[in-house]
Amino acid sequence: MNKVMYLEFERCIGCRACQAACRECGDHEGLERNYVDYIDFSENRQTFPMICMQCKNPACAQVCPANAIQITPEGVVLSASEEKCIGCRNCTFACPFGIPKFDFEKNKMYKCDMCYDRSKHDIAPMCASVCPSDAIRFIDHDEMMQLRRQRVQMNMIEGKKPSQDDKWNYVPEFFGVYSD
Amino acid sequence: MSDRYFYSTAAKWSFVGFTVLVLSTWIASAGFEHVDMALFGYYIAAVICMIGMVVRLTLFFARPATSQVLKRSLKQMKAEKKRASKAVAATTVNNIVLQKFIWERGWYRWTQHMLIAWGCLGSFAITFGLTFQWMRFDLIDIETYQIVVFNIPTIKMAAHGLFAELVYNGLNITALMLLVGVLMALYRRINDQDVKVTQRFEFDILPLLMLLIVTVSGLLLTVSYVFFGGFIHHELALFHQLTVIIFLCYFPFGKLFHLPVRPMAASVPMNYREVEADETRVCAGCGTRYATDNQVEDVQAILQAQTIQLGLSDGTQLSDYCQPCRRSMRVKMQLNLMNGQLPTHPVDTNTGMSMPGFGRPKETKGEAKDETPVR
Repeated sequence: MNKVMYLEFERCIGCRACQAACRECGDHEGLERNYVDYIDFSENRQTFPMICMQCKNPACAQVCPANAIQITPEGVVLSASEEKCIGCRNCTFACPFGIPKFDFEKNKMYKCDMCYDRSKHDIAPMCASVCPSDAIRFIDHDEMMQLRRQRVQMNMIEGKKPSQDDKWNYVPEFFGVYSD
Repeated sequence: MSDRYFYSTAAKWSFVGFTVLVLSTWIASAGFEHVDMALFGYYIAAVICMIGMVVRLTLFFARPATSQVLKRSLKQMKAEKKRASKAVAATTVNNIVLQKFIWERGWYRWTQHMLIAWGCLGSFAITFGLTFQWMRFDLIDIETYQIVVFNIPTIKMAAHGLFAELVYNGLNITALMLLVGVLMALYRRINDQDVKVTQRFEFDILPLLMLLIVTVSGLLLTVSYVFFGGFIHHELALFHQLTVIIFLCYFPFGKLFHLPVRPMAASVPMNYREVEADETRVCAGCGTRYATDNQVEDVQAILQAQTIQLGLSDGTQLSDYCQPCRRSMRVKMQLNLMNGQLPTHPVDTNTGMSMPGFGRPKETKGEAKDETPVR
C-alpha cells in the first residue's frame, strides 16, 4: 500500500456522500463507519469528515480485554473480531479520536478499516473515492507533501494564524499505512 | 510482564492442572483400576491441551486490559452481590447459552454457531469424561448398566432402553450437530464476499477443516461397525485418535481459543452498564452522559499501565470526553481553534511521526524539535 489518506477538514461541504459510500463497502453490512460532524454548531455550519487514523500502537486495541482488535500486515486496524469481542466498549472510550462504533443489538464493535478490501489493492477507500470537494483524499505520499507545502506557504489556517515557527503544526493530517 | 513471571506462573498452573487431572482419574477410577488404556493417546493429548491452555491464559490475563476486567469483576462481586449475580446469570443465559447476539446477526449464523458450539462442548464433555475416567458404565446384570460418576454409582438403565441408546450415541449425536454446523460455516466462508475481506485461511478455515476431519472420521467408526461389520475399524479408530490428538494440541492456539475466553462477556453488564440509565459519567466538554464511572476509571488505568499518554494540559484525560467532543477536538486542534487545554503527548499514528493536528505536544519554542513533522 503506497498511498496515504489526506484530510482537509475545512473542504467538507457536509454532503455526507462519504457516509453513504461507506455503507456500501464490502463487509460494512450497510452501516457507515465514518463521521460527518459540525465543528461547533453554535458558531457556524462548518462540517468535517472523520475516519480512523490507523494508529501504530492503537489505544483501542491495547484496552481490549479480549485482544479482539487485530492489525493487518499492512497496518490497518480492523474492527473487533466477532468471535472475541465481549462487547465491553472499552475501545470506544480509549480511542483518542472517538472512532469506534458499537452495535448494541449485535453486541460488537465496528470501525473504519480504510475499506480494507479496496485499500489493500491500492484502490481508494469508498469515502475518498466519492468526496466531491476533496476533503478526503487517497493520494501518493509525494503529492500529499506537495499539498502540505502549499498550505504552509499560504498559511491557510481557519483559526488564529500561527507564527512562522509553528505553522507546520497546523497542516492537515495524513495517515494510513504508507510503508515506502 | 516479565519472563520470570510468565515462566513461573505458567509452570505453576500447569503443574496444578496436571496434578488435579491425575488425581481426579485416580479417584474416579478407583486407584487406576478402571483405566481404559485404549484412551491413553487421548489422555496425553488432553494433558498437552491443558498445558497449552494454561500458557495461553497466562499470557492473556497478564495483559493489563484483561487483568483489569478480573479486578473489576471481583470488586463488583463483593460490592453488589445481588445485582452482580443477577447480571452475570442473565448474561450467561442470553449471551453464552442462547447466544442471542448471534441471532441478531442472522438465523443462519446463529444455527451454525449453536450446532458447532454445543456439538463441541458435548463432544468435549463425553471425550474428557471417558478419557479421565470421570464417568464409566458398569454392568450390573445382563440387562442393566449403571453410570458411575467419580466412582459413585448413579442411575441404572436398561441396556437396550431408549435412554441407554441416547447415552451410547452421545458422541454420534454431537458429531452430527458438528457436521451440519461445520458444513454451514464452510459454505458461508466460501460464498460470502463480505466475510472474505478479512478472513485468513489459517485462522478461519483451518479450524473448520480440522473439526470436519475429526467429525467425519468419528462418524465413520459408527458407519463401519453398524453397516460394514467393523470393516477397517481398527485403522479408522487409530486415524480418528490421531485427528483428535492433533486437534487438541491445536485447540489452545487457534480460533477456538475464544471458547474459554468468551465467558468473560458475562462480566460486562455487571461491571459497567446494564441499561443506558446506568451511564453516569458526564463529558468534561459538553456535559452529556456517555459512560459509567467504573468504565472510564478502568480505561484510564489500562492506558496508564501501558504508558499510553492521552492527557491534556488541564489535567483531564481524553477519555473524560465523549466521542463527538474528542472528534471535534482533533479538528479544532488542527485548525488552531482550540482555546485552553492541549494534549500533552503526541499520538503514535502509523506514519511513524507525530500528528501535526491533534497529536501535537504542548511545547515551548525550541523544545521537542524531533516531534516536528517532516517538511
